Amino acid sequence: MKLTLNDLKEIRFFDDYSEKQLKTIISMSSIKEFKVKEILFEQYDELSEMYILLHGSLSLGISLAQEKRIHLGTIEEGQMFSWSAVFEPFISTAWVMAITPAKVIAIDAKKLNKEIERDCDFGLKTMSRIAQTISHRLSDTRFQLMNQMML
Amino acid sequence: MLNGKNIYKPIKARLTEVIDESPLIKTFVLIPEEEFRFGTGQFIELSVDGIGEAPFTPSSSPQVSDKLEVTVMKTGYVTEIMHNLKPGAFMGIRGPYGRGYPVEKFFGKEVLILGGGCGLAPIRSLLYALEYVKDNLEKVILCYGSKTPSDCIYKPLFSRLNSIDKFEAYRTVDKAEEGWDESVGVVTTLLNKVRMNLKNSVAVVCGPPIMMKFGTIRLIEMGYKDEQIYLSMEKNMSCGLGKCGHCMMGEFFVCKDGPVFTYAELKNTPDIWK
Repeated sequence: MKLTLNDLKEIRFFDDYSEKQLKTIISMSSIKEFKVKEILFEQYDELSEMYILLHGSLSLGISLAQEKRIHLGTIEEGQMFSWSAVFEPFISTAWVMAITPAKVIAIDAKKLNKEIERDCDFGLKTMSRIAQTISHRLSDTRFQLMNQMML
Repeated sequence: MLNGKNIYKPIKARLTEVIDESPLIKTFVLIPEEEFRFGTGQFIELSVDGIGEAPFTPSSSPQVSDKLEVTVMKTGYVTEIMHNLKPGAFMGIRGPYGRGYPVEKFFGKEVLILGGGCGLAPIRSLLYALEYVKDNLEKVILCYGSKTPSDCIYKPLFSRLNSIDKFEAYRTVDKAEEGWDESVGVVTTLLNKVRMNLKNSVAVVCGPPIMMKFGTIRLIEMGYKDEQIYLSMEKNMSCGLGKCGHCMMGEFFVCKDGPVFTYAELKNTPDIWK
C-alpha cells in the first residue's frame, strides 16, 4: 500500500502543512502493517521511526517488571506516537502493541530531523505538533492521576 | 405560593421500574400523577416521604410528559434510601427548575458532547432532544468516559446512537476489564479521533468536576471559544428558586441561573470546578 497525499490530508497532525511539505513527508515514509498482539516496539527500545496510526487500534503502556505490562491507554486513528525517535537519546518511554490489525505511517526520524533543520517552517510545524501531543499526554496523565486520587 | 400553587409541594409519582445501571447507579422510571413537562438540562427535586429530597436532572426525553426517568447515584443517606425502593413505591417530584440546554441555539451546528460517569444522565435527555430535532443539526458526537466497563451506564444507548444518522458515540474507560475492546484512557483522549468544524460547532460538558475541568481546557486548546462551551453545573441545589443560597457560585444561583451555563459566563467565577 502506497501513502498518498489524501491520506495525509485526513490527519490532523498535518493540518496546515503545504502540499510540498506533505510530499516531503511521503518521500521519507512507508506504511507498515501489524497483526493483533504484535508489538510495534518495547519500552527502552532504540527508535528510528516516528509513527502515525492510519487504521486500527493500538495499546500504549509501560512495563514495571519483566512480563508485567501496564496498559495506560489506547492510541486512536490519526494520533502520532513514538516521538522519542526524534529526540536524543532516541529511546522509547513506553511499549506499543496492536489491539486490532493496524496500519501505521512510519516516518524515518533521521530524515525528518534533517528536514526540520533545513526548512524552518516545516520544523516549527512539526515540533509544535509533537510538543502538543506530549502536552496532551501529560495533561491526560494528570487527569488520570487526579481521578485515581479521588477514588 | 405562585399562581395559587404551592411551589414547594411535590407531585406524587409512582415508581414503575428500577434499572440497575452500574453497582452504584440506578435509573428510576416514574409515572407522575399529573402531566410533568421539563426542558432538557433542567433539574427536579426528587423526594422520598419522611426522608428528604435531592436534586437530579431527568435522563428521559423532554418530549415525554407522562413518564419520567431519573438516574440516581448512591452517594448519601437519601440516595441510599432511594436505591432500596421497589416498583410500586411512591416518590415526590418538584420542579422543573433552572435553565437547561438552549437546543434551538444548536440548530445548524455540529454538537460535541463530553460526558463522564453519572454526567451521562442529563446528556441522555439532551441526546433524546437532539434526536428529535436532528434534521436541524449538522452532526452530534458523544464522547463518554467511565472508570471501568462496569461503571459505564446506559450500555444499549451507544449502539443505538451509532445507528442514527448524524450521530456518533465513543466510549472509553480508565481501566479495562476482560472483553473490553473499546478505548482505554481518560475521556479527553477520545477527542483525538473526532474532527469538528470549530467555526460551526458547540460543545457540551457534563460529569465530575475533574473531568469538566480537563475537558473544558482541552476543548479550548482545540479552538472552541468560551461562549461555544456549555457546562452543566451539578451543584448542591436545594430550594430550586434562588432563595436558600446552597448552590451559590460567585454571583450565580446554579438552581435559578443554571444549571447550564456557558464557560464564558463562568470562567471568572472562583472555584467553579470544586
